[in-house]
Order: sequence, then structure tokens, then C-alpha cells
Amino acid sequence: MKIMIVDDSTAMRMIVKKTLRQAGFDGHDISEADDGAKALTAIKASMPDLVLSDWNMPNMSGMQLLEALRSEGVKVAFGFVTTEATPDMRAKATSAGAKFLISKPFSADSFKEHLGPHLR
Amino acid sequence: MTQAGLKALSAAPPDLPPALPQFAHIRRTWDADLGRPLAKLLPGEYYVTSHDEVIFTVLGSCVSACVRERKLGIGGMNHFMLPLDRSGGTSAWSENQFSSATRYGNVAMERLINDILNLGGRRENLEFKVVGGGKVLDTSMDVGALNAAFVRDYLRTEGFTITVEDLGESFARKVYYSPLTGKARVKRLTATLNRTIFEREKQSAPTKAQVESGSVELF
Repeated sequence: MKIMIVDDSTAMRMIVKKTLRQAGFDGHDISEADDGAKALTAIKASMPDLVLSDWNMPNMSGMQLLEALRSEGVKVAFGFVTTEATPDMRAKATSAGAKFLISKPFSADSFKEHLGPHLR
Repeated sequence: MTQAGLKALSAAPPDLPPALPQFAHIRRTWDADLGRPLAKLLPGEYYVTSHDEVIFTVLGSCVSACVRERKLGIGGMNHFMLPLDRSGGTSAWSENQFSSATRYGNVAMERLINDILNLGGRRENLEFKVVGGGKVLDTSMDVGALNAAFVRDYLRTEGFTITVEDLGESFARKVYYSPLTGKARVKRLTATLNRTIFEREKQSAPTKAQVESGSVELF
């Protein structure tokens, strides 16, 4: 399956990849984008099975990315991995169609719990 | 007005500039010696300001990154205790004494940088000074070395350059940082002369498993 990691932090993208491995999600085709605008183009081109996106990013935020995808009818499974997770953010994410919101610091267990239903 | 009244009026400290909403919990006072507001960070806290303030903390094995946007004169400081959380969400550390997520370096660094960028800062203008990571407890686990290695590795991975560092060795440190000027003043302390640091380190020292799970092998 194809997973796209969207985060402006190189270190955080690497940590997310490592946590995916630790959660047992090896062998998937992982791609990366460092902001929402690049991710929007890449997602439409490659149609990943799951997008893991940061919330705060330059050019286009994670929420703007999700809203742009939905407005264009792109139904990719989408979840947030972000440093902050207020109740308001969770409500907005859910309302916009996000499958989950994992707040950092995250663990392999939280990845298993949230990503398991979307990755075979 | 009486002489006593005039004296009291003249001695009244100026009003503090408003803190950003997310930092309303940070302890801030007027420091007469510095002639500026002083924000005091506890372990796990961070603070960002666009005002002429000084940020202060005391570090044992913990590390602080002092970050500023050179052109705008805005910036802040964090105070993290371990590189990463790999505890699986079951940390044995006290939840009530220390802020939770930002006691970990990866979160503390990201939030500090994001908040500066959200104030209009640009990545290419960021300046980094890093302090702390001392070996202040006589144990086999050198948490300070892990924290120091983490912050170097993290900033290199992100493409940032460390302007100044004072990391490692066997000192605790007091740090005063002015984001406006970029000046960081570090006073090295000996552990035996600073019982507060020693006791805090003992109290908050992570377990061996936590240290290993939070190791600097990030990627």
C-alpha cells in the first residue's frame, strides 16, 4: 500500500517513518512531501492509500490540504500527526473528514491503533 | 501625596508586555537588575516572545535551545528532558510537575520553531544556540549526553546551523537568553553547590528503559 507523509520537518518525517516500522507497518511504499501544496499535487498524481499529515506547515496547512482534497473529490484516507491537539482541532479534523488525529509525542502503539484499520 | 507614597509609586515595576495566549501559564516577573521582564521556564516548558524580555532557566541534564529570528528580533527558548518519547504513552514521570509533550526534544523543538514561524519568522533567518546536557548525577546513564546528541542531530537534519553551543561536561547551568539581541548568558554551577538541581534531577530521572527507548537513534 502507498503511504504519503506530509510534514515540513525533515526530522519529524524520519521519526514518523521509523515509528511506522516499529508499529509493524513495514514494506509499504512511502513517499514524502514537505508542505501541503506539494502534497496536494503529489496525492492527485499518485493516489496513496493513506496520508499522514502535519497540521502546521508553510504554503498550505494540513487542514487546507484536506479541504482541498475533499473539494476536488479526492477520497484518500487522511489522518493528522501533529504536535498540538486541542478539542477544537479534533472537531475540525473530524468534520473535514479526517480518519484520526495522533498528537506528538506518539508511540508505535498509537500508530497500530489508528493506522491498523487503514493498512493491511 | 506623601513621600512614602511617592517612593512606592516610583518603585512600582512597569506593566509586563502581554504574553502570547499559549504562554499565559509561564511565570513572568519584572527583573529590576535586568531592567526587563524575566520569563522563568520549568522543565518541559517553552516560551516565545516578540518583546524585549529575558528568558531564564536552570539546566542539569536537560537541554535548552535558544532560537531567534535575526531580522525580526523575535524568538524563544525551550527546556527538554529527553530526546523522544518511545514509552508507548505510559510514561512513569510525574504528570503534574512537568509539562508532558514538550519535555521531549522532538516536540519541544518543533513547537518552538513553529511558534516563531507563526509570528512571521523565516526559517533561513533562524539562529540557534544550544545549552545544557550536563552529567550532573553520578549514574551510569548519561541522559545529558543523549540530549546533547539529539539536539545536534535534530538541527543538522533540519538543515540548521548551531551558532554557539555549551553542551555536556559535568555542570549544571543557569541560562539567560534575550531573543531580541540574541545574547545568551550561561553560568556554570557545580552540582554540589546546587541542591535544587541535584534533587530535581534525582526526582525526574528517567528509568533505564525510558532512556533506552528515548535514545538518539532517531531514524
